[in-house]
Amino acid sequence: MIFLRRQLPLLITFVTGLLFATQYYVPHPASERMLTEVTKWLQIIGGFALVLGVTSLFHLHAVKIRRKEPGWGYSFVLYAVMLGTIAVGLWVNGKETVNGTATAFGWIYSNVMVPLQGTMFAILAFFIASAAYRSFRARSREAAVLLLAAVVVMMGRVPLGEYLVPLSGDITQWILNVLNASVRRAIYIGVSLGAVALSLKIIFGIERAYLGGGKE
Amino acid sequence: MTFAERMLRIDRRIIFLLIGLSTLLPLLYPVGLAIKISPEVRGVHGYIESLPEGSVFLLSLDFDPASKPELYPQAVALLRHAFEKNLRVIGMTLWLPGTGMADQVITQVARERGKVNGKDYVFLGWSPGGSSVIINMGQDLYKAFPSDYYNQPTKELAALNGVRSLRDVNYVVSLAAGTTGIETWYVFGKDKYKFELGGGCTGVIAPGLYPLLRSGQINGLIGGLRGAAEYEVLIGQKGRAVAGMDAQSATHFAIIALVILCNVFYLFIRTSRGQTGQRS
Amino acid sequence: MLNVECRTRNVGAIVPHSTFLQRFLVILACLCMLPLAAGTASAQSPLNPPENLRVFDAPSDAGGGLTLIWGRADYDGPDTRYQILLAEEADAAAKKVLAEFPANTRYVRNAKWPWWSRPAPPEFHQYDIKSGKGVDLKDGTPYVVTVAVLRGAERVEAGAIRVVPQPNWVNWNQMNNLLLALLFGAVVLGSIRTAKRREIFLRRIPGLDAVDEAIGRATELGKPILYLTGAGDMSEPSTIAAAVILGRVAKRVAAYETDLMVPHRDPIVMAVCQEITKQSYLEAGKPDVFKEDSNFFITTDQFSYTAAVDGIMLRRKPAANFFMGSYFAESLLLTETGASTGAIQIAGTDSDHQLPFFVTTCDYTLIGEELYAASAYLSREPIQVGTLRGQDMGKAFILVVLVLGAVLATAGVLFNTDLPAIALDLFKDLK
Repeated sequence: MIFLRRQLPLLITFVTGLLFATQYYVPHPASERMLTEVTKWLQIIGGFALVLGVTSLFHLHAVKIRRKEPGWGYSFVLYAVMLGTIAVGLWVNGKETVNGTATAFGWIYSNVMVPLQGTMFAILAFFIASAAYRSFRARSREAAVLLLAAVVVMMGRVPLGEYLVPLSGDITQWILNVLNASVRRAIYIGVSLGAVALSLKIIFGIERAYLGGGKE
Repeated sequence: MTFAERMLRIDRRIIFLLIGLSTLLPLLYPVGLAIKISPEVRGVHGYIESLPEGSVFLLSLDFDPASKPELYPQAVALLRHAFEKNLRVIGMTLWLPGTGMADQVITQVARERGKVNGKDYVFLGWSPGGSSVIINMGQDLYKAFPSDYYNQPTKELAALNGVRSLRDVNYVVSLAAGTTGIETWYVFGKDKYKFELGGGCTGVIAPGLYPLLRSGQINGLIGGLRGAAEYEVLIGQKGRAVAGMDAQSATHFAIIALVILCNVFYLFIRTSRGQTGQRS
Repeated sequence: MLNVECRTRNVGAIVPHSTFLQRFLVILACLCMLPLAAGTASAQSPLNPPENLRVFDAPSDAGGGLTLIWGRADYDGPDTRYQILLAEEADAAAKKVLAEFPANTRYVRNAKWPWWSRPAPPEFHQYDIKSGKGVDLKDGTPYVVTVAVLRGAERVEAGAIRVVPQPNWVNWNQMNNLLLALLFGAVVLGSIRTAKRREIFLRRIPGLDAVDEAIGRATELGKPILYLTGAGDMSEPSTIAAAVILGRVAKRVAAYETDLMVPHRDPIVMAVCQEITKQSYLEAGKPDVFKEDSNFFITTDQFSYTAAVDGIMLRRKPAANFFMGSYFAESLLLTETGASTGAIQIAGTDSDHQLPFFVTTCDYTLIGEELYAASAYLSREPIQVGTLRGQDMGKAFILVVLVLGAVLATAGVLFNTDLPAIALDLFKDLK
């Protein structure tokens, strides 16, 4: 049992980790085919995993309904909408339009999904404003510099800012292209080294917590 | 609690209302301020402009409906430009939820320009796999997409004549709201199959893509609604993005005003506390 | 023709497989001869067929590519042009003009060769034929290729060369990358060995020191803890790091018997995190407190997930919110809602584009590699701490290379020499 739970996954990780690290240096089409093939396996596994996810979701809401937790009625709405959309999607073969005419599935897509997602994304603008008002304060000299840069970039990215302060556009470009790009590169370097080190630990079986648990 | 302290703890719904009004009023009463063109947007426009008639232009619409307000106008402007230049357009998406919207924008602009599906443009739709779709297309486009979104065999489509893989594509632009997107197209596409790559993205991720621009990994970047507006100005067809710029101007200035106000109150509190401390 | 064929094969055999030392000496000799080679072009020089023409399978490629190399000539200039001609060997007479360009363009130095795989001196001409855009090179099929030179009505052509494109098994251009990866791997493993022998100093990471405070506060208030693993799947290092930190957090949560909620966007991440959480409760000696549904799936869709998690925050009012892993536009929607409920918020992400939002709205933010360091910081295991030391050494190395590289590149420009390329090429990304 310990072999299946611990040693076999570590062995698979070691072999595939080294294999695909090497694949990066092999330009032969056979190596790319191997990569594509394995990506397909991942998609298939992902498809099965979705069953796990949906089961978890159904279970969670079933528990809510059974315990009559606050807002349990919404769990019924979730079941109805989910099953309804699946049924409609299957009915029209997943097509949103047929000969230029929207199907029922297309109607759900255009009139429910598009506006709901758009609304969620639009809320971002309101939250940015409230977060900026609450937290963007010149508490220190560094914070004051950040504040000034933010104001200049906000001005330089809109026509009104450029109209009022013509230089703001050029300064914004400079901030984005020079200061922003260089700082991001520094973060990338740190992140990449961290990611490579973590990958090495996983390939060599040093980091095992992702298998569930610590040292054994 | 002093006035300044009360103002700093203002109900955030008042801020929401201010932002809402700043967006709505300019849309109702537009001003139409001039828009300055940035070099990164000019990069994409200039490259499409330089392509000879009949060149192959692949537009990957890698976004979902949430990013529609910013990326849809970019797609419309790019497609108008490409069709005007009589390029052969290949449309596709790597984001499943964006398939219907991608089809809608390509069909709408093609119809507006009198272009024929299969002859002047194709819409390949979506295929699962993200980066592996790009690799597959680099090896054999017909294996990656045996049929287009309308179930027509891709091998029989006139628009794809002479196009067997990504190597035969002259220019790829990915309009992305995240990953899978521009970086994926660079790592798995341009880097391997040597085509020119440009990008378009939401305003929130644009600063993160500047390193790619500076290193020449992409030859241009259309960032957010502002980028779309610049592109509309470049092709001389002002649309939704230009219309939205006044609203964006007002919103940015509303946020600037809020930030200045909160700092005034903050400094006021700090100064008065300092004075109290000195007195005691 | 036979003679030419032999020469082609020789080049094909030597160039991709010659030893590192051979290549180094050849390139060094070429660099030293540069000033001698810089002769003046004369428009009146008679046209001769291009000399030293070599055509070989493009090295380090996936097939469908050929490379042509030929020497510079006295007649090279804007008025003279080169033509590249190609045909299948079976139909050698039907040679097609693939390209035509001014004779003072397309040099080896303009191509992206590092010095260890450069097939000819930098002042030689180079042209690459690649499958695609009107050319269809089939691997294994013999072709004949030649170069012609034109000036006005004059035209001379070199002898055609037979060549067969093939895919290659090794990308020699990327050997510097492999070397650096192996070096870094060795440094990390070496650091782990050192860390096992003696204690290594770890600087304070306030965000991680606050983990206990956050859990304690949740326990005092009798409110749950919300932990998010981000938008990535299990193949992303940031998600793995988030899952590893979840293990450490869950162990402390179990000890305090506080409620833990981990909503997921990816079913596989959910399954992995379920196992990790269960194990943590076991290790804390509280298996009975573990709830199977503490990890649950919501949806893979970005904003539907965000709306659901925001709803959980507003209804359950967790006392502590952890945002670990990779995030996109949903970050501010999540953290701002969390802030409005008064929760203590700790974020850790390598999504640099979302850092401003996290920094503004969270009490503590782990920036970039601090996310990967968290596991070591929380566990203090020598193996984990040693890895951190390895990372730091890697970063120090990169810093030194950046400074030296800038100095060398500047010197190269100032003194008009290619010599710094020997060092600079080692750190170039060449594919």
